[in-house]
Amino acid sequence: MGIVIAVISGKGGVGKTTATANLGLGIGLNDKKCVVVDFDIGQRNLDMILGLENRVVYDMVQVMEGEASLKQALIKSKMSENLHFLAASQSKDKSVLESEKVKLLVTELKESFDFVILDSPAGIESGFEHTIEFADAAIVVVNPEVSSIRDADRAIGILDSKSNKVKNGEEVAKYLIINRIVADMVESGEMLKSDDILDILDIKLLGKVPEDKGVIDASNQGKPVVLDKKSIAGQAYIRISGRLCGQQIDMKDIEVSDSSLFKKIVGIFR
Amino acid sequence: MFIFDFFKKKQSASVAKDRLTIAIMSDRKDSTNYPFMDEMKAEIIDVVKKYIGVRGIEIKKEFDGNFEALSIDVMLEK
Repeated sequence: MGIVIAVISGKGGVGKTTATANLGLGIGLNDKKCVVVDFDIGQRNLDMILGLENRVVYDMVQVMEGEASLKQALIKSKMSENLHFLAASQSKDKSVLESEKVKLLVTELKESFDFVILDSPAGIESGFEHTIEFADAAIVVVNPEVSSIRDADRAIGILDSKSNKVKNGEEVAKYLIINRIVADMVESGEMLKSDDILDILDIKLLGKVPEDKGVIDASNQGKPVVLDKKSIAGQAYIRISGRLCGQQIDMKDIEVSDSSLFKKIVGIFR
Repeated sequence: MFIFDFFKKKQSASVAKDRLTIAIMSDRKDSTNYPFMDEMKAEIIDVVKKYIGVRGIEIKKEFDGNFEALSIDVMLEK
């Protein structure tokens, strides 16, 4: 029986879909069976990031409505045979989701995959609520920036009141990914430190991802940045995926720039 | 002027932290929407009614530093 993880953010545009794609592929490369599901109905995007947009025949709404089988709709990635993808419907809108049908879909996926990762729509509307409803855990993606953090707190609040696990008196595990960190700015006090963000949101850290131009280059090509071992964001996603797969990987301090004076001084004494 | 600018910039992250802490605290106060709130209200009323007449009930979630509390006001009949 697999684990269901909802990837949420509150605010849009923080890199939620990119994170979903990279974690999915990263987990697949760790030899775990993983399926990523795009719950952002009407705004399908995960297919592009994964480079699978030309292979979508059936979407998740068609599976829920019984118009296609799961087997027909699941797309296997060429980048890892462990990674499968289920597309969002592009023609419907978010109101099409119904709790019972979402539950059936998620339960079926859990039976065949170690990880079921749901890419939630932005905002805190019904589409978001359905994504978190049957999740065992949630990964919250934020940028070190005020509006993203505030919106994330609202999303966490809804997670804490609307998820099925919470309703049953259990706790839903929550982890934070801080995306698009600029070390120079953190050092000069122009960007929030990750410790401060963790304090404010009261949540455990899963990983920090530095700002990296390679992410756009990767999405241009439909090849998630986790494949690019030279990319600093790619390396961050390799570490995060490893942690999700149970490996002990130390938190790398990406909030110190290579050029920082402190490092140079330490270097002299090494 | 350089030094002045330097210090001014250095503070923006801590300004952000202070502003966020306050904004989020106030957001959380506004959202007392526990899914069980109505049910709990009804049950409390039932219990109190056994002993004394009840006119209404109000439950608020309150924050004080790291502590969260439910403040329950039961209005009695005259």
